[in-house]
Amino acid sequence: MRDLLVFGWGLALGVVAFSLVGGLTAAFVLLERKVSARIQLRVGPLHTGPHGMLQTVADLIKLVVKEDVRPSRADPVAFRLGPLLTAVPAILSLAVIPFGGPLLMRGLNVGVVYFLAVPGMTVIGLLLAGWASYDNYSFLGGLRSSAQFISYEIPRTLAVVAVVMLAGSLNTVDVAAAQQPWPYILLLPLGFVVYMITTLAEVNRVPFDIPEAESELVAGYHTEYSGFRWALFFLAEYGALFAAAAFATLLFLGAGSGPFLPDIFWFVLKTLIVVFLFMWIRWTLPRFRADQLMRLAWKVFLPLSLVNLVLAALVMQAIGPR
Amino acid sequence: MTTATTVLFVVFGVLAALSALYAVLTRYLLRSIVALGAFLTALAGIFYLLAADFVAVVQIFVYVGGIVVLMLFALMLSSSGVRHPTASSDRRSLGSIVAYAVGGMLVWASLRSTLPGMPAALPDSVPYLGRAFLNEQLFPFELIGVILLAAVVAALALVRKERA
Amino acid sequence: MTPVLVLSGILFAIGVFGVLTRRNAITMLVSVEIMMNAANLNLVAFSRLHEPKLMTGQTFAILGIGIAACEAAVGLALILAIYRRFSTTDVDHLDLLKG
Repeated sequence: MRDLLVFGWGLALGVVAFSLVGGLTAAFVLLERKVSARIQLRVGPLHTGPHGMLQTVADLIKLVVKEDVRPSRADPVAFRLGPLLTAVPAILSLAVIPFGGPLLMRGLNVGVVYFLAVPGMTVIGLLLAGWASYDNYSFLGGLRSSAQFISYEIPRTLAVVAVVMLAGSLNTVDVAAAQQPWPYILLLPLGFVVYMITTLAEVNRVPFDIPEAESELVAGYHTEYSGFRWALFFLAEYGALFAAAAFATLLFLGAGSGPFLPDIFWFVLKTLIVVFLFMWIRWTLPRFRADQLMRLAWKVFLPLSLVNLVLAALVMQAIGPR
Repeated sequence: MTTATTVLFVVFGVLAALSALYAVLTRYLLRSIVALGAFLTALAGIFYLLAADFVAVVQIFVYVGGIVVLMLFALMLSSSGVRHPTASSDRRSLGSIVAYAVGGMLVWASLRSTLPGMPAALPDSVPYLGRAFLNEQLFPFELIGVILLAAVVAALALVRKERA
Repeated sequence: MTPVLVLSGILFAIGVFGVLTRRNAITMLVSVEIMMNAANLNLVAFSRLHEPKLMTGQTFAILGIGIAACEAAVGLALILAIYRRFSTTDVDHLDLLKG
């Protein structure tokens, strides 16, 4: 009986997480528009609500009530599955992030691997969406995204392995606790750089957004989508962005440690700073070409991440076993 | 087993069996691969229930995030224009007889055998796994690296375009 | 224990059925993966029964997943090579050696 209660509680938490990510997406879209406007010397959304703060809410309402358009030659099953399989893993991956306070979940002994593994399912969604649309731009976008994801997954995983070596645990709560004196960004600066750049590629953001490069592919895998399904792609993108930023906070920035205020405050603050960093990069740098992107992954980041592993081993020797 | 574990085992088990069945029965290649993905995910859930949490995440990491994506990729490269169902087979009766025989034998054997009940699980499997891989299983562990390398080279050699 | 073994037997039979009846190379690969996973399920289940601290079954399951990755990579490369040559992935059409 108690088990079933726990089970129900988990389901309820899932629903809450889904709505939270929805709200977060709306907030992040607004933030992105404001940041981009500031960087490009514009003002951004201004009229809906105070300082245009309700603009994304209005957009969301518009998207939800829009007609659901499906290309007549699209594969109906795959076309519907695509956005779902893209959005759900992004939300699932949040389950192991130890935000602190009431959101400190210590369920999984392999949380770090879980976080690396679950977003991998996103690629299936992108491939399906691109293929089902029956459209060359979408198809190319889907293929590009999966090639990119698989290539960048390797250096990214190796960068995380270095952290796991130092922390001596795969449990996210232990990884956070292990960084008590110094956060790992000080011990593994190279690992942090590799993690951040490969993460940009994993969440398909500029300068690695070739799967949806507007100048070549219209909008990549979501060219044919509109209305609510398109909103799901947006939810996936910003949910993944938030999760990746939270994971960077957990692995390298000392998780929730900070003076005076509670853990959860510091954790969210650091995460938001990382999110802002990602947005800053997006609106500052140009886009790579597809072949440059692959060369970068295999000839630069893979060796760098291996060097980082050796460095981590040296650090382990220096500070002694934990 | 506790109540929730039993309920979840039944749910994942039925899900795994149904998606596996759909994967081998459907005539659309794409749906078959997606059903395989669902099957693998359901099986990862069962691994987790059996207290093999590391195997469960590795299953999702390698199978769902790697092999299924690879299969979709190969499908899309090999038949990007073809969206029709594949030819249905002519050996259905023979196949089902053999499958019923094999399945019936396995199920009969496992129902008849007397096995001790499931012992309590270890609290955390990861340290034991790490120790096993660096001690008793070190040789197979190194060997699989060599096999992976050989597979990568072989795959590259197979798909490389031949220069005239 | 028994329910796990029964499930594994059923899954294995489904895989056998797929390999025997489907003529498309990709679907056959899918069926082989289902069979391998049924075997993995048994390995994981018995790992808990026999010397749980040695983790023999689980290590074998993980090695098996690694082998499956190799198999899929080489198999799919073969399928692509065959497709280039014959423009089909249906194994019944690969009959160059027929007299």
